[in-house]
Amino acid sequence: MRSPTPRTDPVSAFGPTVFEIGRRSLIRIVRMPAILVPTIVMPVFFVIGFTGSFEGVTRIEGFPTEDFINWVGPYALVQTAAFAGIGAAGTMATDLDNGFIDRLLVAPIRRSAIIFGPLAYTAMRALIPITLVLLLSIPQGGSLPGGLLGLFIAVVGGMGGALMLGSMGLAVVLRIGHIRAMAIVQIVAFAFLFPSIGQVPLPLLSGWLHTVARFNPATNLIRMTRQGFIGDVSWAETWPGLLVIAIGLGVFTGWARYELDQRAP
Amino acid sequence: MTATLARARWRVGVEQAGALVTRSVVNTWRQPGSWIPSIVFPLMMAAVYSAQFERAIDLPGFPDVDSFVQFILPASILQGISFNAGEAGTELALDIESGFFDRLIASPVARQSILIGRMGGGAVFSGGLAAALMVVFALVGAPIEGGIVSAVAIVLIAAWLSLAIGGFSIAVALRTGSSEATQSLFPLTFMMIFVSSAFFPTGLMSGWYQSVAEVNPFTLIVDPTRRLALDGFSFADFGRALFWSGVVASVSLSLAYRMYLGRLRRS
Repeated sequence: MRSPTPRTDPVSAFGPTVFEIGRRSLIRIVRMPAILVPTIVMPVFFVIGFTGSFEGVTRIEGFPTEDFINWVGPYALVQTAAFAGIGAAGTMATDLDNGFIDRLLVAPIRRSAIIFGPLAYTAMRALIPITLVLLLSIPQGGSLPGGLLGLFIAVVGGMGGALMLGSMGLAVVLRIGHIRAMAIVQIVAFAFLFPSIGQVPLPLLSGWLHTVARFNPATNLIRMTRQGFIGDVSWAETWPGLLVIAIGLGVFTGWARYELDQRAP
Repeated sequence: MTATLARARWRVGVEQAGALVTRSVVNTWRQPGSWIPSIVFPLMMAAVYSAQFERAIDLPGFPDVDSFVQFILPASILQGISFNAGEAGTELALDIESGFFDRLIASPVARQSILIGRMGGGAVFSGGLAAALMVVFALVGAPIEGGIVSAVAIVLIAAWLSLAIGGFSIAVALRTGSSEATQSLFPLTFMMIFVSSAFFPTGLMSGWYQSVAEVNPFTLIVDPTRRLALDGFSFADFGRALFWSGVVASVSLSLAYRMYLGRLRRS
């Protein structure tokens, strides 16, 4: 007599499902390396382009560092990781087109795994620009006075930005059902990251930009990510960034889950 | 008899090119999604950069300007043109994808008119775009100091430069026949603009980046154009901007024409 097939509880299958969905997206990268080109080119461009073009601004009185790479490197890290995160939306759009998401929706798995699978892939994908920016910063004269803790916080900041934008991308793709959602999320990302303290510190910003950057959540995220590059890590500069990540992730993953439920049969 | 026939052909070719230029301009105008970013994106960058780098204009070595907005005007025009010129290639690729290009080839249209029509349309639109951007900048307090003559000169440079930049996107469109591949060219153009004096003076850069930026053709075009806007009209600056745009155009248009002949052979 054969022993009964062990039944996998949907709840206990959450982790493996997330892992498999994430792994599936990673295999896509191996099969279509071209989709990684922007993820690799952007960090190179941001680090070299921003540093080369605007390094003169460090001569303005009151600029917090003499090496512009220490200022702009973390900004490039957050920006490129965030844009890499939007790639999760591309994967979701493709899977919506080919019917894979419909099959997952009727499969005996937890629906949140359909959201967290692409996000796991996002986290892996974000490591590419984060690593590239950190490596490219060294020959540009970058330093890390904040030590290992500063490095860890920078990685958390980059990863947080990627996951936030990734989950926003998932929500918008599930809402629109089209790859054009990526363009919308890219514009939103740009609209948040650009008017912030990315390139120039708050006291040196003038007019409307000073006000916008002051209340822009991206400012807190960049400030948290940057602190280890220009000095010691402090809780005062860390918690606002962590709060932005927590709220962003909570809101956007919740929204993505809601949109997914709307698509369920 | 032969001379009369040749003249008639030449005239028909010009008329056909004119009709295709008009089609291209009308086609672009009817799709605001294709030209609104050419205005909005440069203006947005100008607004943010001017608020970020306003204090930089006091740095030693920075050109004599009243505001950063005034400094960034040529960069904004260049950005708008590069968007628009890229769009000309994308539109051609869409014509190829939709089969309109093949129908044109099969019709009794002069071969050169097809290419001239598409590129001419982009140039006319870029000239208009430059004029529109100059009006917006004037409204926010950065008028063209050189007056109407400099403004007209900048419009002409913009149209000519549009042909130069557009030639590359047209070449990619003709080679690949893919709108997606043609669009992917835009980041490269953006990088070329970034590594120039468009957004920041090369005198405040250093090392190899400064060396590259100083010999970048976009620097050689932007600097005289900026002087036309800030200091007034001079034939020397107008000529320099046209000359270096012509150098870029000679490369891009040769490439585009070569790809065009290749596609005609394949068609």
